[in-house]
Amino acid sequence: MMPDVTAADFVVIGSGIIGSTVARRLAEAGASVLILEAGPRVTRGEVVARFRNSPRRSDWMSPYPPAPWAPHPIYQPESNNYLLQAGPYPYEAEYIRQVGGTTWHWAAHAWRNVPNDFKIKSLYGVGVDWPFGYDDLEPFYQEAEELMGVSGAPNTGSPRKKPFPMEPVAEPYAMRRIRERLVPAYEVVTNTTARNSRTYDGRPACCGNNSCQPICPIDAQYHGGLAAQAAEQAGARLIADANVYKLEHDERGRISAALYYDPDKNSHRVTGKTFVVAANGIESPRLLLLSASDKFPRGLANSSDMVGRNLMDHPSTSLTFDADEDLWLGRGPQSPSSIGIMRDGAFRAEHAPYRLDFTNISRVDGTTRALIAEGVYGDEFAQRLRHSAARELNVKNVLEVLPDPNHRITLSEQKDAMGIPKPQTHYSIGDYTRKGHERSQRDFRRIAELMGGSNLRFSKEGDFANNQHICGTLSMGDDPKSSVCDQWARAHDHENLYFAGTGVLPTCGTCNSTENGVAVALRTVHHILGEQGVRPVSAPPGQG
Amino acid sequence: MPSNPSTWRFPILIIVLVVTALAGEVASAADNPDAALVEQGRYLAIAGDCAACHTAPGGKPMAGGVAIATPIGSIISTNITPSKTSGIGNYSLEEFSAALRRGVRADGQRLYPAMPYTSYAKITDADVKALYAYFMHGVETVDHKPPETRLPFPFNIRLAMMAWNWLFLDTRPYAPDPAKDAEWNRGAYLTIGLAHCDDCHTPRNILMAEQNSRLLGGAELGAWFAPNITSDADSGIGAWSVDNLVRYMRDGHASGVAQAAGPMAEAIDNSLRYLTEEDLRAIAVYLKTVPAVHDSADTKPPFAWGTAGDALSTIRGVAVPADRDQWSGARLYDAYCATCHQAQGQGSFDGGLPSLFHNTTLGRANTSNLVMAILDGVHRQPDVDMPGFANELSDRQVATLSSYLIQRFGNPSGSVTVDQVKTARAGGPSGNWLVLAARLVIGIVVLILVAVPIIALIRRRRSVSV
Repeated sequence: MMPDVTAADFVVIGSGIIGSTVARRLAEAGASVLILEAGPRVTRGEVVARFRNSPRRSDWMSPYPPAPWAPHPIYQPESNNYLLQAGPYPYEAEYIRQVGGTTWHWAAHAWRNVPNDFKIKSLYGVGVDWPFGYDDLEPFYQEAEELMGVSGAPNTGSPRKKPFPMEPVAEPYAMRRIRERLVPAYEVVTNTTARNSRTYDGRPACCGNNSCQPICPIDAQYHGGLAAQAAEQAGARLIADANVYKLEHDERGRISAALYYDPDKNSHRVTGKTFVVAANGIESPRLLLLSASDKFPRGLANSSDMVGRNLMDHPSTSLTFDADEDLWLGRGPQSPSSIGIMRDGAFRAEHAPYRLDFTNISRVDGTTRALIAEGVYGDEFAQRLRHSAARELNVKNVLEVLPDPNHRITLSEQKDAMGIPKPQTHYSIGDYTRKGHERSQRDFRRIAELMGGSNLRFSKEGDFANNQHICGTLSMGDDPKSSVCDQWARAHDHENLYFAGTGVLPTCGTCNSTENGVAVALRTVHHILGEQGVRPVSAPPGQG
Repeated sequence: MPSNPSTWRFPILIIVLVVTALAGEVASAADNPDAALVEQGRYLAIAGDCAACHTAPGGKPMAGGVAIATPIGSIISTNITPSKTSGIGNYSLEEFSAALRRGVRADGQRLYPAMPYTSYAKITDADVKALYAYFMHGVETVDHKPPETRLPFPFNIRLAMMAWNWLFLDTRPYAPDPAKDAEWNRGAYLTIGLAHCDDCHTPRNILMAEQNSRLLGGAELGAWFAPNITSDADSGIGAWSVDNLVRYMRDGHASGVAQAAGPMAEAIDNSLRYLTEEDLRAIAVYLKTVPAVHDSADTKPPFAWGTAGDALSTIRGVAVPADRDQWSGARLYDAYCATCHQAQGQGSFDGGLPSLFHNTTLGRANTSNLVMAILDGVHRQPDVDMPGFANELSDRQVATLSSYLIQRFGNPSGSVTVDQVKTARAGGPSGNWLVLAARLVIGIVVLILVAVPIIALIRRRRSVSV
């Protein structure tokens, strides 16, 4: 079949929470916007139905089967070998390729960095500084929070000029007890989350289903599906099942077209004036590398050779223990509270900072599986399940990783079902991060002690769980030799190519990357519209 | 009623008299607001729910500008603040009374009966005086004139309303029934007078006038249904306790019975919840004596249907169909409803999320409100917000889900078709034969009724000029 031609002022590749938000704002400003999404459209009802029907309730990817024409990594019950591991340490990232992207399942953590996160090179001699500071991003944090419907406590180390759009969701009983018992050694704060404590933007308040991951069944938490819907309502056109495999450029190096496959592998060509690649921290660099040409043999935007490098995430180690009182985790949202005192300090010259995060996920499923595996049945099963469900606690660290060019995404020799090379990761856990882990063990012990903890079970030494906060692979910076894009997320090498996503974040700090990604992208939109003489629209969400 | 066509001149005569004889009284009344009277008027204005039509969402109180959908087109409510340029600031008490109770503006033009003056006609002189005091002194002046109502010909001939009034307006204020006690009389006065419950709950004839023989017998209201609230046990509210009726009007819900949504939720939000316990009780006492209107299809009270239950065995372990329109009702319920209403429809333990069995919305043979609750959700002050699913569910899915809900939790004689959902989604049966017929008949009648007096007038003028 002959490729057909479609055109728009802006072509946004990727319909996740960030790409869709960019598309929405551009469309609201009157531009013609086309969103290309590799995966299919999926409704919340389908995800809920699959979750309720899944025998693997704790496998948060089970309600999100990959589309054969646009696969994403799957590890349970067995790996689909989509994201290949070159080692030495596995980087088993999870993400979702469907309209709305990966925030269909998240804990809705919507943190701002702390101000010093923007200048760790100057202050602590590690990592890199961002090309701008906290104050530059502050209004865009606020805009992101108003779009997403964010609530939180004011005492999280990130100063703000305007209040949160709403009050925090009610504190679950277990979190209240933890907060009360850890005083004064630790201040436990309510997490900043994109979760409604009241009706906001037409969506209801959290009613405590405790299934934030894999799916909030009532849209009390914001997600990319809603962002995509808002973009379409603003006038953006969205083509699902459009797997972009190549960007074309003209002789001046301007991006001229995006080529995509539909599920039958028919090729289509889309032209545009400006291109925004917003396909997440793995698929975006993959697309740039796939688009190598005679003029750009290392791939697009890659004169620095930094595309795909400096891969960062948040590794975690944890402690599970039994408290000396019944706390019954599982009421309210899954991840309501944390401790922020180790997010910043002079120690950052020596070891990774971290946030300490308390889970509030019901212990029933995990305990049941563990007891069955142990061969426990009958009365003992009931008694031990009840004990764990009531008393088991878990605290984890969320460790900063420093940018390291050796941690990277490359193209694999292997190809996916469309014949496109699969992504491959090269990753390890650096000393800085390991030292942070070691330091956090003190806190784990102290917390267990204060909670009257027994049966302490530390995560296996050397094992780091991943948190799916993919950063760094399209790093922004002032120097075109060491970064992929400038402070506005415009590719150093291509005048009309922008990036939107967590890949542009130069460092990862200690907080979940989504809000940083959204805020930086809103700053990009502001810049693009300003350059084009269009006044950006900042429509406050309805509060019906 | 007078049948002589010349009686149409009578209201104008009144206005002329009012303007000439009583103009001075406006100023003196305006200078001496009686605070207690103003407050009394404020309460009465709430009971009359003036704000429902005269306060735009997010707008200034009583400044008008709300478009009220009617079968003959949108009628835009006017500014009734005391603005002398844009509102009713120049109205005398008598002009105010004429507008309120007879549908006649100070300039002599007729109001459309979207303004419930046929009900307000029952308001006593004393209450009119209090309302007047409130509107002159208790409402902030807004000098903004909303757009004029522009109905298509022939409905733009306001004079026609004179004929309509001649046919359907009973101008006598409420006369207490000496055989009944004060509470009952208060209830009747509020229900069919100031609070104008009959405006929505009484079916209308082809000329859009209430059918007195079926007072409060239930009526379509756009896509919603204002149910039968007569004393009939199976079709009306006869099986409700007075306490539950009071609870419903005050809180918007009565556990195990019903919850308000749509226009009724608005009536509660804006009006009923602010009424005194005594007034609500009076309304309830009166409603329980309204002559029963019975539908033989109703065999037990709407809230008496259904039990807890599920059909999970039909969906667990069964692959989710790729075509969402092929999902079963049980599947849709599990994915979209069970999270709040719980697996077996039992709602939350504290009643905050209602059970779906023992729920009037599912127990009524008329299923309009079930469909609308699914499409639009349920929204009540201060914090009830069931989201609507209009954007998420197709017409077929809503029909499948509704039918499942009715069969499992409600009155199985009810049914929901795909066409019904489609119509409801479009805002109700605006294009159906009944409305078209109504328009046609009203149009013809309007022309006849207008033509006769005009011809008479022309003849008279000719005879004068000759």
